[in-house]
Amino acid sequence: MARNKFDVDETLETPFNIKHLLRAGVYIGRHKKKMILSLLFSAISAACSLVGPLLIQRAVDVSVPNKDYMELVVLAVIMLVSIVASVLFARARSKYMIVVGQEIIYDIRKDLFEHLQKLPFQFYDDRPHGKILTRVINYVNSVSDALSNGIINFVLEIFNLILIAIFMFLCDVRLSLIVLAGVPLFLVIVLLIKPAQRRAWQDVSNKSSNINAYLHESLDGMKITQAFTREEENREIYAQLNQKCYDTWMKAQYTSNLVWFSVDNISTWVVGAMYLIGLWMLGPAMQIGTLIAISSYAWRFWQPILNLSNLYNTFINAVAYLERIFEMIDEPVTVDDAPGATELPPITGQVTFDDVTFSYDGKINILEHFNLDVRPGESIALVGPTGAGKTTVVNLISRFYNINSGRLLLDGHDIAGVTLHSLRSQMGIMLQDSFIFSGTIMDNIRYGRLDATDEEVMEAAKTVHADEFIREMEDGYYTQVNERGSRLSQGQRQLVAFARTLLSDPKILVLDEATSSIDAKTERLVQEGLNALLQGRTSFIIAHRLSTIKNCDRILYISNKGIAEMGTHQELLDRKGYYHHLYTAQLET
Amino acid sequence: MFQLRWVWKQMDGFRKRYIFALCSTVLLSVMALGNSMITSVIMDTVFQPLVDTGVVTEQAFDHLIFLVAVLIGFTLFRTGFQYLSIMTYEGCSQKLVFKLRRDLYKNMQEQDQAFFSKTRTGDLMTRLTGDLDMVRFAVAWVVRQLIDCTVLFVTTSVVFLATDWLFALSMLAVTPIIFVLTFIFSKQVHPLYVDLRERLSQLNTCAQENIAGNRVVKAFAREDYEIRRFDEKNADYKKANTKASLLWLQFSPYIEGLSQALSISVLLVGGAFLISGRITIGTFTLFNGLTWTLTNPMRMLGMHLNDLQRFFASANKIIELYYAKSTITSRPDAKKLQDRMKGEIDFSNVDLNLHGMPVLRQVNLHIQPGETVAIMGPTGAGKTSLVNLIPRFSDVSGGSLTIDGTPVGLYDLHDLRHSIGIATQDVFLFSDTVDGNIAYGDSSLSEEDVQRYAKMADVDFVNKLPDGFDTLIGERGTGLSGGQKQRIALARALAVRPSILILDDTTSAVDLETEKYIQEQLSNLDFSCTKIIVAQRISTTKRADKIVILDKGRIVDVGTHEELSQRPGYYREVFLLQNGMDQEKEVV
Repeated sequence: MARNKFDVDETLETPFNIKHLLRAGVYIGRHKKKMILSLLFSAISAACSLVGPLLIQRAVDVSVPNKDYMELVVLAVIMLVSIVASVLFARARSKYMIVVGQEIIYDIRKDLFEHLQKLPFQFYDDRPHGKILTRVINYVNSVSDALSNGIINFVLEIFNLILIAIFMFLCDVRLSLIVLAGVPLFLVIVLLIKPAQRRAWQDVSNKSSNINAYLHESLDGMKITQAFTREEENREIYAQLNQKCYDTWMKAQYTSNLVWFSVDNISTWVVGAMYLIGLWMLGPAMQIGTLIAISSYAWRFWQPILNLSNLYNTFINAVAYLERIFEMIDEPVTVDDAPGATELPPITGQVTFDDVTFSYDGKINILEHFNLDVRPGESIALVGPTGAGKTTVVNLISRFYNINSGRLLLDGHDIAGVTLHSLRSQMGIMLQDSFIFSGTIMDNIRYGRLDATDEEVMEAAKTVHADEFIREMEDGYYTQVNERGSRLSQGQRQLVAFARTLLSDPKILVLDEATSSIDAKTERLVQEGLNALLQGRTSFIIAHRLSTIKNCDRILYISNKGIAEMGTHQELLDRKGYYHHLYTAQLET
Repeated sequence: MFQLRWVWKQMDGFRKRYIFALCSTVLLSVMALGNSMITSVIMDTVFQPLVDTGVVTEQAFDHLIFLVAVLIGFTLFRTGFQYLSIMTYEGCSQKLVFKLRRDLYKNMQEQDQAFFSKTRTGDLMTRLTGDLDMVRFAVAWVVRQLIDCTVLFVTTSVVFLATDWLFALSMLAVTPIIFVLTFIFSKQVHPLYVDLRERLSQLNTCAQENIAGNRVVKAFAREDYEIRRFDEKNADYKKANTKASLLWLQFSPYIEGLSQALSISVLLVGGAFLISGRITIGTFTLFNGLTWTLTNPMRMLGMHLNDLQRFFASANKIIELYYAKSTITSRPDAKKLQDRMKGEIDFSNVDLNLHGMPVLRQVNLHIQPGETVAIMGPTGAGKTSLVNLIPRFSDVSGGSLTIDGTPVGLYDLHDLRHSIGIATQDVFLFSDTVDGNIAYGDSSLSEEDVQRYAKMADVDFVNKLPDGFDTLIGERGTGLSGGQKQRIALARALAVRPSILILDDTTSAVDLETEKYIQEQLSNLDFSCTKIIVAQRISTTKRADKIVILDKGRIVDVGTHEELSQRPGYYREVFLLQNGMDQEKEVV
């Protein structure tokens, strides 16, 4: 999946690959015992249900001509036993299958989700979120049936087919051969339809992914759409995607339904041929009971074939989804624990950039030969033009991206050699975009430290002066807020996010434009509270408000792939360079 | 059942086709018996005499050829007709899905902010994916199967009864028990499906928020926690699914067993009647051959009712969304805008309550056309809520808000919003090109115009991007810095040439120099425009004609920069703070 928008199909050019089904086998393999038992039960159940026609044949051919009522009763009892056995075994099988099927989708979804957690920002930045969501939910649901019942039914139908064939051959070998003659013809038809069918189902999955991505984006951006009165045009786009879903679905149906059509017709030809040849070859020697039985088997013989071809449809469909799921599970984890990574011990907060060069795309360097030494407890402000790489600098410390060359050390430990969890859990990062999860405000703040008590949560909220507005809401800390915090104002969201970060008690604090929407007065109060907390913590602050940054120990002016100026507020003012220019600009306006 | 009636209502326009499909199923179900009929004729007229006479005549052979030809021809016709029938079902169900998607999408577009703040995206996604698919499945498959079951059962029963009533009754004896069992099952499974559907929606929401909040998850190294949380929902869904499926297994052995027991009747009663000469071998073959047409409907009825219950659970959610009413709509007699709005705005005694809490109180504010008004105040003072009233993202709870002398509620909503350009705090960009994003409000905008507005908002960094204005940017503009996103959002708002421009903290992440440039551009727009600027920085508000200070939902002060910076109060405090003159203690 390359960088992508909602209307771009993610075509997979690989031919139909059994590999994906085999890979799904790993998930099925975990339930080997249940699968094998299910198969066994199903086989017994199927065999039992096949006894019926034999008993009826016996009744017609032997019992009735002999007028033997007793034998009829005996046959009926045998049939009863076979039915009970068949039903009970079928039930046991179904029970296993339900459990296994659910376990399999649970497992696949779990693996997919766990992998997603390891994927870098880039992955999420590059594609519509709706496309990721569709895979995790809808696609996984779509493969569940194919992988549980599908597999079992597949084996079962083959069993069934073989059993029916055996019973059929027991009745009469020559007539059975005639019934088998239709199979090659059927295979030719399937081979002809197959490629079109696979393409059609891939299209269906593509188009549904596209429309879901667009829907997801539409929902998230609805306010903008309404503000710009773009509803009609978006409806137009949605209608087009909708139409494509319709077209691809119908096309898939047109091809897929040809399969049963062929089976039905071929089976009729075969039975017809059987009657004719039966009459011609066997003549009066043929027993009518045999003919009844074998024609019953002949019809039945084609049922598993029809079922198999339907299953084949299901598999083709499932593989189209599995491809997408595994593709995501295979998405390389670019930032991961190095082999043999160690836990980063509790740090004091010393940060060293040693000749760091970094580029997002491998072409344009954002930072070149960047050197910086930060003492524990120092506060560093980063200023400079938008897009100069201020955020990049702080993102590198948390190893959200891997540097291209050079080293980045925390207390002398190369961050490339420590576990991500031990590294990031000692960092407190407040981003420009303060995401709020749906749940209570309490839960949202507690996200920073999961074992924090209610009192600790409130303490953190008080420190950032969020306590007051939270208490004013109808349920106080237990007020439900929504994803993106639409009930809170931007400034309030930033305060909640601030409290969240504070609660995590980080050794290194990163504030990335974290207070831009908080009013100056509140910010000042926040900072007073923070000053005490900042003691003993290294902090990196990105801000445009000079009041926020002038008290920092050191100010870095980031520009032109590196540090253009560095010093205290006063030093930089005296230098009369970029910073001085920035500062006077603020005063003038 | 009202769900089915509702769906029926929605099928306006292709209802005739669907009726055709329904009728074709009835016909096909009857025709399904055809093969057995013909086979039975073959038995009676060809093979039976053969057994009796022991001679294969030329005539019998010709007769068989004829009958086989009928069988093959009939099958070809039947399958061809069935193909047509199935495609009609698929066509109708897809048309229905198309229509519902379209209508639901439109209805969601008309919802107000209250709706979106109480409905989770994940839940809406579930309705338009899983639930809608269930409706499709019901229309294309379940209904067809139910008809098929019913017709097969009824026709076979009639044929059987007509052929030999006693033999037939011996087979039909078990059916009432099966129906009762099926009915009980269907009643019991319904709540399980309602629960299952809710679990799916929760799972969806959990995944959706994790994806949307991936930056926060990583920043706090909360991957393990997220995995645990998701795992819980995943397990809940699994449990609910298993539970609903297992319920069927409590009933299925009885239903299966009883329906398969029909074969015993065939053997025992049929055999006895054969011996006694009451029925011919042809009749016996007919009964034996058609046993499945009685058995299958009885076995499958439970499954289909099961699916129908799932359909009911899903359809409820769709219907609910379909009829969700927004409180903010155009009145039927809404005023269509003839000319460009002048942009005179008047708040008079405006009150606003949101979520049952007072947000604005007695706001009085008059804004002249072309004026620039800055709104400042502490976090949570109601600044965004105030400007949200202008494009009617919410409606006033008391007092009145007029634009050019007309209450906002009397304008056509589209016209009203079309005259307003907004750059919101929470910048949302679409996964589209930079060009597409800027031209979002007016996609007919020429490339030159896009670049002109881009220039006004200082979107110059775009030229450094690999594909310039054609660079694709991600949802929420991720990949861009906060300041970059804000500038694109500003260009987007300017590009509609609004009569009223609302900038809600739009330049907070933009550096000061850029901001200064942008302000100059804003004061030299080539169209008349009232500007309302919500900001925290003095640098942003300084040049405004009027600065409004909002606190706890009330206007506490109004004045120019000169006036406000001289008199004690919020503005002066902030002014001193931001200029680094740390003297507020003296001021207070």
